[in-house]
Amino acid sequence: MIEQPFLALLVWGTIAGLDLASVLQGLLNRPLVAGGVAGAILGDPLSGLAIGGCLELFALDVLPVGSTRYPDYGAAAVAAVAFGAYQPQAQSLGLSVLLGLLLAQLGGVAVVVHRRVNALALGRFAERLDRGDPGIATRLHLIGISSDLVRSVALAGIGLAAARLLVLAPHLDPDTSQALSTVVVAGGVLAIVGGALRRAGTPRRMLWFGGGLAAGLLSLVLR
Amino acid sequence: MTGRWLRSLLRLLSLQASFTFERLQGIGFAVAEEPLLEPLRHDAGRAREARGRSAQYFNAHPFLAGIAVGAMAKAEVDGEPEERILRLRTALSGPLGALGDQLFWAGIVPAIMGVILIAGAVGYGLQALVVTVVGYNLCRVLVTAWGLRLGLTHGVAVAGELSRSPLRAIAGVAGILAAVVIGAAIPWVGHWLLAGAARARLFGFTLVGVAVVVGVATRSRPVPAPLVTMAAAAVVFLWRWSSG
Repeated sequence: MIEQPFLALLVWGTIAGLDLASVLQGLLNRPLVAGGVAGAILGDPLSGLAIGGCLELFALDVLPVGSTRYPDYGAAAVAAVAFGAYQPQAQSLGLSVLLGLLLAQLGGVAVVVHRRVNALALGRFAERLDRGDPGIATRLHLIGISSDLVRSVALAGIGLAAARLLVLAPHLDPDTSQALSTVVVAGGVLAIVGGALRRAGTPRRMLWFGGGLAAGLLSLVLR
Repeated sequence: MTGRWLRSLLRLLSLQASFTFERLQGIGFAVAEEPLLEPLRHDAGRAREARGRSAQYFNAHPFLAGIAVGAMAKAEVDGEPEERILRLRTALSGPLGALGDQLFWAGIVPAIMGVILIAGAVGYGLQALVVTVVGYNLCRVLVTAWGLRLGLTHGVAVAGELSRSPLRAIAGVAGILAAVVIGAAIPWVGHWLLAGAARARLFGFTLVGVAVVVGVATRSRPVPAPLVTMAAAAVVFLWRWSSG
């Protein structure tokens, strides 16, 4: 078994978690990016891209707007790649992506908890904030960043621990692994197509989507 | 001014860290506006009132919120009446949210992800990832900086300036681009991820067809794909377990 650079993955998972909403939002939380970089850290970027790519199909169905609850795919993708790296794609894709999907849902719950922590802090300082006391907003903001940092470290740590346990567990037989891989790809395609059709909104834009799909299919057949 | 502007810009990059369900981005807004209110430091009363107003409810797209932050700060420094400042805040919130969501979340981000997915399927995923992520972040910071400058320059008249900006047209093009690229990416990604499966091509084509039918049929009530996938995986486990 290959020894994994746990600390580097933990740091990367934390950065990806912070990027979800609190800091920058510079695509680092996208599972394709988080997974690709995690794969590069592990020396297996192709597995990282494949696992992150499959999780991205699900993530593209999500619009991270306002106060809606949405999954956190960043640290989830890092943990999924930590499990799936250096294994044949057909063998590891299914279980890796399932681990990622579970962790992403957990991350979504953790985002709600983080926002409740922010609300608790706001409740304590609201009067002084509304009075315009200097430094109160900054203090609340720092509490928010710290709380999200803790959330992101915890999510990445739990994910990497789960990945480690799965690596040590008895491996699935090839047929089950292949069936799981097929299931996650089918689920991902269902998610991305549904999301694209909803996001298209107008019939005209749906036609653009249909045109792209036809071009993709044609180019694949002619290749 | 440059130093205060830069501090405000940096703070805008973490606008949503203190997000709450009660005030949404309000506290982050106040933190970003604070450096721009420094000209009021000699008038403690006005500065306090401005700070108090700045932390109220606010919600917009985080990349475009700088437009409102700059406009509000100028309005405060110019001594605009409170009612007008609060009206400006409310008036900017919705349009900046809708425009930014269209431009980034439904346009540029899916288009970029589609490009990386296609590149991954043909073996250039890591290169595409590095180039697009760097480019996107450059664009993200430049758009936020431009917005902050626009707001600071035009103050309460910023809504008119915003409507004359090319952002709406760019958002339309980005949406079309996203639809085309995502459409083109789907077959390639299916082919890439199903590599090694028996009759992968036939399965892939059938899968895309089924997904389109399901997607059209469930447009108003979306299928929770992650949950359906986990349930299907549980069925696979049960089936394999029961068959020994």
